[in-house]
Amino acid sequence: MKKRHLRIIRNNLVLAILAFIWLTPIVWLVATSFSAYTGMNTSTFFPEEWSLQGYKNLLFSADSVAQFPNWFKNTFIIACFTCIISTLFVLMVAYATSCMRFPMRKPLMNVAVIINLFPGVLSMIAVYFILRTFNLTNTHFGLILVYSAGAGLGYLIAKGFFDTIPTSLHEAAYLDGASEATTFVKVVLPMSRPIIVYTVISSFLVPWMDFVYAKMILNAGISSQWTVAIGLYNMLEKSLINSYFTQFCAGGVLVSIPISALFVVMQKFYVEGVTGGAVKG
Amino acid sequence: MNEGKTGVKAFFGAIGGFFKEFGEGVAKGDLFVKLSLIWMGAGYIRRKQFIKGILMTLFEAAVILFSVLFAPRYVSKFGTLGTVKQESVFNIVTMQNEFNDYDNSFLILLFSVFSFVVWAVALVVWLRNIVACYRLQKMAENGEHINTFREDLKSYVNEKFHITLLTLPILGVVFFTLIPLLILIAVAFTNYDQQHMPPASLFTWVGFQNFANLFSSGLTNTFGYAFGKILIWTLVWAVFATITTYLGGILMSMLINSKYTKLPRMWRTLFVVTIAVPQFVSLLLVRNFFANNGIMNTFCSAIGLTGWLRDIGLISTSTIPFLSAPGWAHVMIILINIWIGVPYQMLIATGVLMNIPTDQLESARIDGATPRQTFIHITMPYMLFVTGPALVTDFVKNINNFNVIYLLTQDIYTTTDQLMASSQAKETDLLITWLFNLTQSYYNYKMASAIGIIVFIICAVFTLIAFNRFLKGDREEAYR
Amino acid sequence: MKKLVALMMAATMAFSLAACGNSDGGGSTTPAGGADGNTQQAPIPAEKQNVSLRMWGAEEDQTMLQGMIDSFIAEYSDYANITVELGVESEADAKDDVLVDIGAAADVYAFASDQLNDLVAASALQSIDSMDQVLQTYAGKSVADVKSANAAGSVDAATLNGTLYAFPMSADNGYFLLYDSSVLSETDVQSWDSLLAAAGAANKKVGMVMASGWYNASFFYGAGFTTGLNEDGSTAMDWGGTSASGITGVQVVQGMLDITGNSAFLPVADGDTANQIASGSLCAIVSGTWDATAAASAWGDAYKATKLPTFTVNGKQVQQGSVAGFKLVAVNAQSTNAGWATLLADWITNEENQNIRFEKREIGPSNVNAAASDAVTSNIAIAALSEQSAYGVVQVVGGNYWDPTATFGEKIAQGQLARDNEAAIQEALDLLIAGVSQPTQ
Repeated sequence: MKKRHLRIIRNNLVLAILAFIWLTPIVWLVATSFSAYTGMNTSTFFPEEWSLQGYKNLLFSADSVAQFPNWFKNTFIIACFTCIISTLFVLMVAYATSCMRFPMRKPLMNVAVIINLFPGVLSMIAVYFILRTFNLTNTHFGLILVYSAGAGLGYLIAKGFFDTIPTSLHEAAYLDGASEATTFVKVVLPMSRPIIVYTVISSFLVPWMDFVYAKMILNAGISSQWTVAIGLYNMLEKSLINSYFTQFCAGGVLVSIPISALFVVMQKFYVEGVTGGAVKG
Repeated sequence: MNEGKTGVKAFFGAIGGFFKEFGEGVAKGDLFVKLSLIWMGAGYIRRKQFIKGILMTLFEAAVILFSVLFAPRYVSKFGTLGTVKQESVFNIVTMQNEFNDYDNSFLILLFSVFSFVVWAVALVVWLRNIVACYRLQKMAENGEHINTFREDLKSYVNEKFHITLLTLPILGVVFFTLIPLLILIAVAFTNYDQQHMPPASLFTWVGFQNFANLFSSGLTNTFGYAFGKILIWTLVWAVFATITTYLGGILMSMLINSKYTKLPRMWRTLFVVTIAVPQFVSLLLVRNFFANNGIMNTFCSAIGLTGWLRDIGLISTSTIPFLSAPGWAHVMIILINIWIGVPYQMLIATGVLMNIPTDQLESARIDGATPRQTFIHITMPYMLFVTGPALVTDFVKNINNFNVIYLLTQDIYTTTDQLMASSQAKETDLLITWLFNLTQSYYNYKMASAIGIIVFIICAVFTLIAFNRFLKGDREEAYR
Repeated sequence: MKKLVALMMAATMAFSLAACGNSDGGGSTTPAGGADGNTQQAPIPAEKQNVSLRMWGAEEDQTMLQGMIDSFIAEYSDYANITVELGVESEADAKDDVLVDIGAAADVYAFASDQLNDLVAASALQSIDSMDQVLQTYAGKSVADVKSANAAGSVDAATLNGTLYAFPMSADNGYFLLYDSSVLSETDVQSWDSLLAAAGAANKKVGMVMASGWYNASFFYGAGFTTGLNEDGSTAMDWGGTSASGITGVQVVQGMLDITGNSAFLPVADGDTANQIASGSLCAIVSGTWDATAAASAWGDAYKATKLPTFTVNGKQVQQGSVAGFKLVAVNAQSTNAGWATLLADWITNEENQNIRFEKREIGPSNVNAAASDAVTSNIAIAALSEQSAYGVVQVVGGNYWDPTATFGEKIAQGQLARDNEAAIQEALDLLIAGVSQPTQ
């Protein structure tokens, strides 16, 4: 019994120390976002004077630099579409390569590996010109395409997951007269919540995180069209950082809130996966 | 390895068989199969598959229109990448610049590659079409049932469901990944740089000149020197970044999900919050945290760590150069990457570990295995099996991990190696950030592309072997 | 497609020519185009054109620029229906975004003068000289008027190989010494030696960006060294030898090492200057007008500015030089409506708008009349800048200049070169010169 208590203390203590390390920068971010000083504070951890001004400016007094409400809306729309398309693509490719057997399967998978070996930013300029040919630069649709069109290449994790689903389940479905499509939608997908959640989260995050492609494609300099990432990144320009750093932090916090919420809600599905996924294994 | 070889063999075998059938179709096919060589819908219409016949005819017409009206304008100039330089004349009456009918090398390259891809697809469809028509003919001769259009459609949710699933994702990859890559591969053999930028100037083919520059080293050409140094750091980084976050993620996940841990969901949430902050925010913050005049340095000199380090000769400056000196920066980058990467891996590991066969763990416990033995003999093999392919892709992703390095070192790390600087490189650069800087600030697309190809070749051989080992056909089914 | 456009343009041109001829009653049918060197006024079409333009300007200037656009549209409303879309692009980064796709860049944009060579090399800039007729017809001035209205240095910075490529907009993109007069006296700031001594005595620091070829070249320019542009686009540099004033490059480096080796000197990262001023550890910094606000809030009334100090070279005091930087407004060479774009670029850089720019944003004008006003000359930062401008050099460098010089400065800042090892310093200089003169591979 004593050993058990020691272990509980040890585990929770280790986690507490780790959590402290992991959360320090986040606490700093939140603290700085409430600073009364608009520039970057490098001498003390907590701001010397507290204020809500950063948030107020960011949300209610949009100027040409900070158009946060617009950016947030743009990014949210882009993220939703990217998320839907990417998740579908990933699951479709993963199912085809994991649960079906057809002659071109192996060659296609090898080609996918080969393509993944090339650095993505190398082809950025060509992607840009392809979009420009179709007049899709400076449109959100173009950005959605860039984020989701190649998503199928990221199927490997989902495939690894599908590989663990017993073949007997497929066979049972076929015996019941289900088509391949029905098996996919009604048998495999319901069992794959964790991997769907993983795919949804990671594809939803892409537009919030990317500033390289977004900056290149939304290059007309119209700040109301921007995504959160370009807008916030832009606040760190040499000439702006001193008057916008607090707003930058506030923006970082505001972006993180919905994403955190998403993660926290999705964790529930993880737990459900444990209790409800007894079929596996 | 063996499996890889048989895979390749099977692949070529399949191709050989396909062409044999094609030849047979051309030789032994009836009039309509032969007519299909010219009119792609003919074979279907003969077998009363009218809708399929019409669709094929429309496809053929579209390809022909494309080849006649669009492609020649660009493909004909592919050999030179254009000869007519842009000239403009200002017209005072319209107040406009009037341009001559100039060539844009990049667009010529882009649309030529696009045309080649379209033709390649059309060729495959054409070949398959003959085979399909010949098969139909044989089926008709044997008196077998020939599918109606409705039945054909139905097969796309059954035995041909993979085609339904894969068509759109593959199209996406072709347009937004494959064609851009082919173009940039081609650029490695041109002189596309700041002196030759379309639309105002033309660029042209130069053969292997860029690769020659990459491998020769001297006072006025330092690319070879920089390339070697950066390649080594890229590999070191990729190995460490992959292994540390992978193991860290598994350990953290096991720690959180341990039965001795109270409130696992709370702990998980705390770590997951760090993922929710976009990397460009969190990394830029961390970088200020560890800046030469940042909080960490203030703290370290306050507790005397800076002075002690100087006493033992580890640093020569008045601050700890966490992110501004080679060595220090390299270690810090890997540590910060653990901070960034472990929560992600923890989530993946949690998802996978939930599916670990409980009976195996149970029997191990009954046999009296220690937690360490269980971890080494049951948990890790299972993890490696399920996430093995992901581990390989993680390694490649880390080779191409742009964000961490770029955000932590861009604008604050200045190399003191003059030869590196001459090639616009710095010690902490990965090949990917180097490429990015070469294209973004110096428009040196030709060298960037050449470097990209070399890296690819080095990685490709290595990874394909590892990949085929991880994905041996029999192992794929092992845990079912 | 392009042919079609050309045909249509020819057609509209013919039509407008005809229309114009008719309205004049067959009077003036002067052939259009400046090719024959005709500097007279061109005929103005009777039909009002619909013109849409795009313009890029700095983030902080957006409201002010919108005002200038409105007045521009009103000014020319008799001739054309103009719409201007205003976008954001900082002057410092203009080149990076323009060169990715010149065709997609704005018709009119502002940029820092050090980017001129690269922009010209990529044919991104419309020659302003070729627009003389437009200016004469619509703006009532000639290119020569534009040149004489602006400070000679700013016109030089906008000129390459004898061609004017941009309109000078401001003359504030240079650096000087900002200091805290409660710590440093006016005699202290005369030389680096006294400056560092006084700062050290007060336990404060003097900051300067060393790891940048824009800042650290000031020591070499002060000693009479030069940089230039080679034909292959690389940089010509003579820092390894002896300058016109008889100083060797090694001696300059030794002078720099004396400064960076002083414990009162703080090497600052480019872009971190405002933070450093705000942190309160500095009593002086080599920086520009962009940090004037930060300095004023950190040092209050004690904030002062002056020319750069002298530094010791081989026992003698040598005035530190500087880069005379300007902000310029370009017309995109790929712009179709190049004529109206030129007029817009001229409009936002004319005397009246340079005055507005100073009033609203304290940006130092390049226009001679605007710069002479009392308000401008009494501005602390701008006064110091014009004092320093006597020692300013228009920096002409090639593509591979920035990274090698940044590294060279960093080596000096970190004290990696031993002051007394002249052979090693010479070797480092040779390596630097080999780097910057390396043609684009």
